[in-house]
Amino acid sequence: MKVSRGEKIFNIMNIIIMIIVIIATLYPFLYLTAISFSSEKYVYAGEITLLPKGFTMKTYQVLLSEKLFWISYKNTIVYTLVGTFISLFLSTLLAYPLSKKHLKGRGIILGLVVFTMFFSGGLIPTYLLVNALGMRNTIWAVVIPGAINTYYVIVMKTFFEGLPVELEEAAAIDGMNTYGILLHIVLPLSMPMMAAMTLFYAVGMWNNWFGPFIYLDKRELFPAALYLRNIIAGAQQTAVSSGSNIGDLEQIEATVKSAAMILTALPIIMVYPFLQKYFVKGVMIGSLKG
Amino acid sequence: MSRKFKILIVTILVLSLLTTLFAGCSSKNSSETQQKETQQAAQNTNSSDPENKHFYSEKPLEFTMLYSEHPAYPYKEDWLLWKAIKDMTNVSLKLTVVPMSDYDQKRSLLISTGEAPEIIPKTYPGQEVPFIPSGAILPISDYIDEMPNFSRQIKEWNLQDDLNTLKQKDGKFYVLPGLHEIFVQDYSLAIRLDIFEKNNIPVPNSWDELYDALKKLKEIYPNIIPFSDRWQGKSLLNVAAPTFGVQAGWGAGNGMYYYRDKDEFGFYPITDDYKNMLSYFNKLVKEGLMDPESFTQNDDQAIQKFVTGKSFVISTNSQELVNLRNKMKETMGEDAFKVVKILPPAGPKGAVVAGGRLENGIMISKNALKNPNFHEMLKFIDWLWYSEEGQTLTKWGVEGVTYKKVDGKFELMPDVTAGFLGLNPNGTKDLRKDFGFGNGVFILMYGGPKELAYSYMSDEDRKFAEELDKTRELLPPAPPVLFDEVQREQANMISQPLMDYVEQMTLKFILGQASLEKDWDNYVQQCRAKGADKLTQLTNEVYKSTKDMLK
Repeated sequence: MKVSRGEKIFNIMNIIIMIIVIIATLYPFLYLTAISFSSEKYVYAGEITLLPKGFTMKTYQVLLSEKLFWISYKNTIVYTLVGTFISLFLSTLLAYPLSKKHLKGRGIILGLVVFTMFFSGGLIPTYLLVNALGMRNTIWAVVIPGAINTYYVIVMKTFFEGLPVELEEAAAIDGMNTYGILLHIVLPLSMPMMAAMTLFYAVGMWNNWFGPFIYLDKRELFPAALYLRNIIAGAQQTAVSSGSNIGDLEQIEATVKSAAMILTALPIIMVYPFLQKYFVKGVMIGSLKG
Repeated sequence: MSRKFKILIVTILVLSLLTTLFAGCSSKNSSETQQKETQQAAQNTNSSDPENKHFYSEKPLEFTMLYSEHPAYPYKEDWLLWKAIKDMTNVSLKLTVVPMSDYDQKRSLLISTGEAPEIIPKTYPGQEVPFIPSGAILPISDYIDEMPNFSRQIKEWNLQDDLNTLKQKDGKFYVLPGLHEIFVQDYSLAIRLDIFEKNNIPVPNSWDELYDALKKLKEIYPNIIPFSDRWQGKSLLNVAAPTFGVQAGWGAGNGMYYYRDKDEFGFYPITDDYKNMLSYFNKLVKEGLMDPESFTQNDDQAIQKFVTGKSFVISTNSQELVNLRNKMKETMGEDAFKVVKILPPAGPKGAVVAGGRLENGIMISKNALKNPNFHEMLKFIDWLWYSEEGQTLTKWGVEGVTYKKVDGKFELMPDVTAGFLGLNPNGTKDLRKDFGFGNGVFILMYGGPKELAYSYMSDEDRKFAEELDKTRELLPPAPPVLFDEVQREQANMISQPLMDYVEQMTLKFILGQASLEKDWDNYVQQCRAKGADKLTQLTNEVYKSTKDMLK
């Protein structure tokens, strides 16, 4: 195939811009990795750019021998797995019926759903509710209150609406009930979308520090995100002012901060490639004939 | 669609009305009867120890407490600290652990929702104000006669005036502050002593001597600007202002200065004293003795200049002093320099320093009244945070396990390390991380009784503090102005834009962008136009009408 000159220039520009974007995205990670493997004095002097100086594994050894870090890590994994499952389950059960035009009261339910996008009960009432339900200091306080993301539900609903009605009708004629249709016809056809939702929910749950911060009072329940936030922002908060107690100003070393950030971000980054394969175009091609 | 929409709105309205209706009926009153019963039951406990030197409860008690978790020593359940408290007092603390990064937010949430633990430490004076109107925290001033250690320290350390500054419109105070016997002014100037000594320049003791010293340095090193400051000059101005009879920098406040001789407040930024201070720093900048970037550059740039020998004077505190030295070891070599912190220079108003001896302290939530052992709780708080025995425990731990006393001095056991104090770097167990002592929730670094405060200082810091105590006079605190909410709002409305303008002009005058001769009158006019007089009037009115409440 012949490529015209204009197209060539476009390709070259395209590649250049993409490379710039890639560098801009990757640099923070490389920088943090470099710092986490460097000795402190070079970090202090501001000499680290891309490669570590005074290579050392000590930071990681210290961090990985910290029992609390592992506990938070375990919590994060449990919260993410359970939370993502619950979120997907509930969102699907809400989005699928809403995608059906013949559902009675669909407009009202939809209106109520959309309403929550713009108005919420506020922090204190929500807290009181969760507390009254006895969920405080349990995993449920972390995974339930934010289980359904309205925006994602609307995306899912729209996707379900796009599926051909004929497929479902065909299944119904073959004697399948609603749940069967959802499970065996609709969901398999929605894999790319479900994969995306899994990713969104999982990342959200992994990074979630606010819910756990509000509802959990026990150290052994804290997820890694909370642990990380305290390391990074804890001592900075107090900042300098003539009033603050000198003892609180003790800083966490930049190397430890970086290593903690890398360790916390790594697993969720690694999820991406596995879900990537579902983002394939054209699952629908050829499913409908006539 | 529009009909559906209407139905939707009506449904929502009905639902929300219903919820408010039900929320109003929640039960709240059960605690009040209890409260009265327990009131008499107290007070007679521990009659053998009226000074509350050793608190011990016969029956095991449990109090709930908010705990701010410092990332440098994450909370552990099995710290010796908890066991030691239990052993000495028979009290166990049930904690709500909150990361220090967002402690304030969670504290507000818990107090607002009525779920606050009984004891709420680490509250800086001023932070309690938002919780007062709702009655969610107790007016602790009603109970201090049940706290012998606290009361005694207020009297013996002459802190009544300081304590008065915490009073609210109702004449009560709501936060039990942390107390210092000695005042520690940690911020001052660091100088390159080796350069001063090499050129026979005496260590400056006043601002004029500092000027002479900088001038000499400039003659000897014409290419160098000898003074380049950090913290945007705010620490410098804060240290300098009291010696000129004004306030500035971090301590600029709302523009009101208390004139003790007249017993009234005045707007200090338009006084001759303020002009004097500005012209002093303007002189430094004009003659090339002070870096004009001092007021704009970020700290790293200022530090870079100092540690690479491009400047000889910089603001510092004790911890930053150590950091400077560590960096200079890298940049200059072990023995190539000498850096010391000098005493805050004296000025036209004498060798004075300003500052308070109160620090973050404890609020008690109204939930505590429901606890049948409320009065023991007060005693316990008094013991743990204020008694010599309690503070020794939280600072140094258990004798024979974490520390021993040698000739009356505290010494860590050989296997215990305390990096934050620079002690025993080779120990295997950390006083903070592994035992929980030296914990910011329970101690103030340099707070408490003199000897305990000194015990936490390095020899150098201690010498500095003692020298400061001897040669510098601590200005008494200004009396509080008991604004009510409306008045406070009014005062803020005036003072915020006004002080922004003052800050902006302060910099211009110092840097020479505005002239102290030509533009001063205009500046005074502008301040008046922005409400300086009105603010002064309001403050004085409120002060005069409420000051009797402080006696």
